[in-house]
Amino acid sequence: MPDAAPPATALDTAARLADRVRWIFLPVSLCALVAVGVHAAADVAGGEILRVVDWLDAAFDALVGRWRFTAPLVDLVGPSQRVFFARGLALVWELIADALLAVPMLGYDERADEVKRFRELAGKAAASPTTLRIVFPLVTGAVALSGSCSVGRLLEGTIHLGLPRPLGFAAAALARGAALAAVLGLVAFIAWRAVVHALVRADQRSDRIPRTRARPLTTGLAAAALLLPLALAALRAAPLLSFL
Amino acid sequence: MRRARSLADLVLAALCLWAAWYHTPPGALFRAALAAVVGSRSSAPPLLSYYGSGARPLQVGEMPQPRAPLAPGAALALGAQATIEGLPAAERAQVLARAGLWPSSTENLGGWIERETRTQGSPDAALLALFCGDEAARFAREHARGRALEDLARQLPPRYADRVALAATALTLGTAYALAWPLPDSAQITSTFGFRAHPLRGGRRFHAGVDLGVPVGTPVRAAGGGVVRRASDDPVSGRLVLVDHGSGVSTVYCHNDALLVSAGDPVTAGQVIARSGNSGLSTGPHLHYQLDLPQGPVDPMRFRAGRPQRFALGGTEP
Repeated sequence: MPDAAPPATALDTAARLADRVRWIFLPVSLCALVAVGVHAAADVAGGEILRVVDWLDAAFDALVGRWRFTAPLVDLVGPSQRVFFARGLALVWELIADALLAVPMLGYDERADEVKRFRELAGKAAASPTTLRIVFPLVTGAVALSGSCSVGRLLEGTIHLGLPRPLGFAAAALARGAALAAVLGLVAFIAWRAVVHALVRADQRSDRIPRTRARPLTTGLAAAALLLPLALAALRAAPLLSFL
Repeated sequence: MRRARSLADLVLAALCLWAAWYHTPPGALFRAALAAVVGSRSSAPPLLSYYGSGARPLQVGEMPQPRAPLAPGAALALGAQATIEGLPAAERAQVLARAGLWPSSTENLGGWIERETRTQGSPDAALLALFCGDEAARFAREHARGRALEDLARQLPPRYADRVALAATALTLGTAYALAWPLPDSAQITSTFGFRAHPLRGGRRFHAGVDLGVPVGTPVRAAGGGVVRRASDDPVSGRLVLVDHGSGVSTVYCHNDALLVSAGDPVTAGQVIARSGNSGLSTGPHLHYQLDLPQGPVDPMRFRAGRPQRFALGGTEP
């Protein structure tokens, strides 16, 4: 008579349920992590955006101030509106970056051999580089890292400030441990997949580019110009070492 | 192993969704859309408040006018007082009780802010402690790279957003109250802030600052410390300097004869930044002095220590 199967524990049941909805929660989490990273980067880039707005405002005023009928437009952007415009630009930049980086993550389909897939695609990108194959995975990696740090910090703050005050040191240690675990977990399990998916999409789109000398480099150049500064800001917004 | 991995993925996914839902503008858009679908009121803040320290349009009570020029600590206390007095009674009591200041006067609020500034390391952190609590301020301070409110605010969980916005409001008002006057007291006002008949274009138009009639070449001093964001020349405002004092406060000095600073220069309070003049669209030598807060230009006289306003005929402009 065969042995009876051990009774399923609550964890088994939860894991089975998680497996069933994996096809939906994994793409959504990739999208959410990238969106959090993009926001952290856009927020940090606010100072630079404000400088650009100031420069544009000065150039605009010098231009429209020359003619009597356009002169009233000088008052269009005052000092307080410049902050409004800068924040508005940051928001538009963020939403465009979300459309380019975060929304495509919803198309993620998980494979058992992700590491092999990454190696193949990275090798292909090195052998026949295109702007898309280089820029999109790099930018996605930077914003996903920044997103992981943001989530970690939010978790740390929520635990640290949510626990009763008398717990003091224990609350701080627990919060820091949870944040470190979250950041490592996010980088290892979620951010990594986001990079793979960005590489997959960039590869598919690169394969459709006509084989002329210039097109592999020029296709995606506008997106690269928009996303590369964001990637630099994302790295500035990722205080990875502060979790140690 | 596989079971643990599945559950870990689920937990991490939940964390990502939670952070995106409460911490990003797209999350706020989804929250607003969901609230519209179910017919409830969205708790999501305005989209632009997700940037910087989350300063929102000022909603303060009756703004007190200082009786004498204020030291920075006293100016912050007055800004904090105006912000606290704009709060509902229960919330006001909560903020003051947290700081052990009930019943409060500006004087003991000032002392408390000075002590906290020393403890917390910056006035921004002191105001964060006043509105968010000591523990939250300490946590933010330990993790932030800078000491400015927006650096500190980024470290706090979303549930602190409303209180951070109050600290930002207090800091804005405090920064504005600490400003000095850009010209000697003898400079007379030739045109006040607000709607007026325009001297050159005709019709009723809004005048966003005050005009101070002074001879060409009078030294124009920065009303407070900050960074020059703009030093430019155009046919309407003439040679202008815009100084960003931080916390959403900036001052503008227009129609100068010569600019002595460039964009990007740091300036200290009282530093001569220009020589006044009659450049741009102007009817005579004067300085157009403008004070801007996050919600727009405000009358600089509201923040000037109670000196009588003197009016005279003289140069003015748009």
